[in-house]
Amino acid sequence: MLLAEMIDIKKDYFLGETVVHALRGVDLMIDKGEFIAIWGPSGSGKTTLLNLIGAIDEPSSGQLFLEGQEVKRLSDNKRTELRNRSIGFIFQGFNLIPVLSALENVMLPLEIRGTSSSEARDKALSRLDEVDVSDFFRHRPDKLSGGQQQRVAIARALVTNPSLVIADEPTANLDTGTSKKIIGIMRDLNEKEKTTFIFSTHDQRLLGQVERLIRLEDGKIVDGGGKK
Amino acid sequence: MNKWIKIALRNILKNRRRSFVTLLAIAMGFAAVSLFRGYIHNTYQGLRQSAIRGEGLGHLTIYKKGWLEKGKIDPDRYMFSQEEIQGIIDIVEDDDDVILATPQIHISGLVSNGNISTIFLAKGVKPSDDKTIKGAWAALRPVKGDALGKKKPYGVEMAEDLARHLNLKPGMDGVVMATTLDGQMNALDIEVAGIYDTGSDATNDKYMRFPFAYAQSLYDTEKADRLAVLLDSWEKTERARNRLLSTLSKAGLQCEIKTWNELSLFYSKVKGMFDMIFMFIFSIVFIIVVMSVVNTMGMAVLERTREIGTLRAFGLKRRGVSLLFAIEGALLGFLGSILGLVLNIVVWAVIRAIEPSYIPPGVSTPVPLIVNLVPQTLLNLMVFLILLSLVAAILPARRAASLNVVDALGHV
Repeated sequence: MLLAEMIDIKKDYFLGETVVHALRGVDLMIDKGEFIAIWGPSGSGKTTLLNLIGAIDEPSSGQLFLEGQEVKRLSDNKRTELRNRSIGFIFQGFNLIPVLSALENVMLPLEIRGTSSSEARDKALSRLDEVDVSDFFRHRPDKLSGGQQQRVAIARALVTNPSLVIADEPTANLDTGTSKKIIGIMRDLNEKEKTTFIFSTHDQRLLGQVERLIRLEDGKIVDGGGKK
Repeated sequence: MNKWIKIALRNILKNRRRSFVTLLAIAMGFAAVSLFRGYIHNTYQGLRQSAIRGEGLGHLTIYKKGWLEKGKIDPDRYMFSQEEIQGIIDIVEDDDDVILATPQIHISGLVSNGNISTIFLAKGVKPSDDKTIKGAWAALRPVKGDALGKKKPYGVEMAEDLARHLNLKPGMDGVVMATTLDGQMNALDIEVAGIYDTGSDATNDKYMRFPFAYAQSLYDTEKADRLAVLLDSWEKTERARNRLLSTLSKAGLQCEIKTWNELSLFYSKVKGMFDMIFMFIFSIVFIIVVMSVVNTMGMAVLERTREIGTLRAFGLKRRGVSLLFAIEGALLGFLGSILGLVLNIVVWAVIRAIEPSYIPPGVSTPVPLIVNLVPQTLLNLMVFLILLSLVAAILPARRAASLNVVDALGHV
């Protein structure tokens, strides 16, 4: 079942008078339940592609459909609601809110949605348990290790039961062992809950755990763009 | 909503030093404005009582229509006759808010101790009514000797400096001279029954109070030039004026009514000056609070740009981001006001304990420096500063809300 579709997507950035062509006509189809890695050298357009799929950026041209809706036609509020409802994010730098505990961080997307505190708390605790950091639920981010912070970030991304989780270099700040564990957790959740994961990496050691690889070079998909 | 208040509060506590400086600015501003407001509240209260009770103006003064414009040229024509006086008293005292209405006559002339003479200004009053008007105020400026009374129909009260210039003491005699309404020179004996302090350098060397009938006899008239009206509350002054004017007019009595604050020039001038100083202080506090909050919230937005991007990515709408920072601004205003309130109470208590006094310009005796604690003013100021801080936070908050999500996430 088709979750996202990109048709001839181009994205240009303007640095003063210089135009940077970050994406040069990308066609991509993503089905529900896929576990996808986007890899390629620095500056190949991985982050730009993920930002577009995550509906936090707009393409310069082309069409992007998410759950059947063309993102470009949505107002900012509608796009924000779509993200809250259907997309979870895992960031390279974890991006946990420093003044909130691990539990409060995970509860946040639900509370933004308007879920009651008690329900949000139960769901968040359950997600923290799944990623094996429930013992640290009262800890603030600065009291957690990098691996623990990323697990909390995964729990936060999954707490709303999104159909798509986007992870931009989720293991870039982690050692190899922790990186493999994090990818393993994501893979388990993908298999168990059929949540679609799409993440970028330049660490080739992690690519063996992925069922679909998309290779980007100079803003173009050179491998893995078509369906499996 | 609790979640956002919690985040805002924790962010305020996280940046302790910066928040403390902002809270201190708001607190100092709150304390400065509320203490000055408390001081002028007490001053207005004192001046109001001084005008209504001390000067014996009452709350309202009724004149015959035309007196204020032409009374000096043709006084007899614009004074109230006995029948008119009684008619007005009957109508006015029938009003629920009125305690009493009493005729008065203002006179001027020369007063002599037999050797030297000087000018005087005097008010002819009914002693019992005058006592009612003065009320508890009489204890603040007591008459040395005897007050006006029926026992001494020619006994007068003389202002302190005037008595000193004439070397007159209670029980001593003198002579007053004035021109009657017909233009004849008239002279009467007086006995200085009592000596009093008017409270003002400008009047202490020329004021006297006469029994009403005695003042009438000096002017050789049975008329009065005004009636003073005492109400049960000063706050009813304006409404009572309008109502009484209408009632008197319906009864065929064409009158003009002045309120105590219109007649007390000193009150009006002091109030005008204090109101101006208050606005000046308030403006400075306003600017300091706005700049402090804008600066603090601007720094907060800059530091938390990635956090804003994260919240937006997880589905917080632009207005949600604005709300988050607006709440933080309002919380700064609230906490700053609470700190200011504590500061206000501490300074208030210190002033109460050391009881400082000073002599204001034009006043003959020291007055205590008193600051009132006015709950309504404190509450209004608190609400105002909270709203001001909230509004001041809106500008940086809007900037935060308008950030592009990708740019915000990429911010270092």
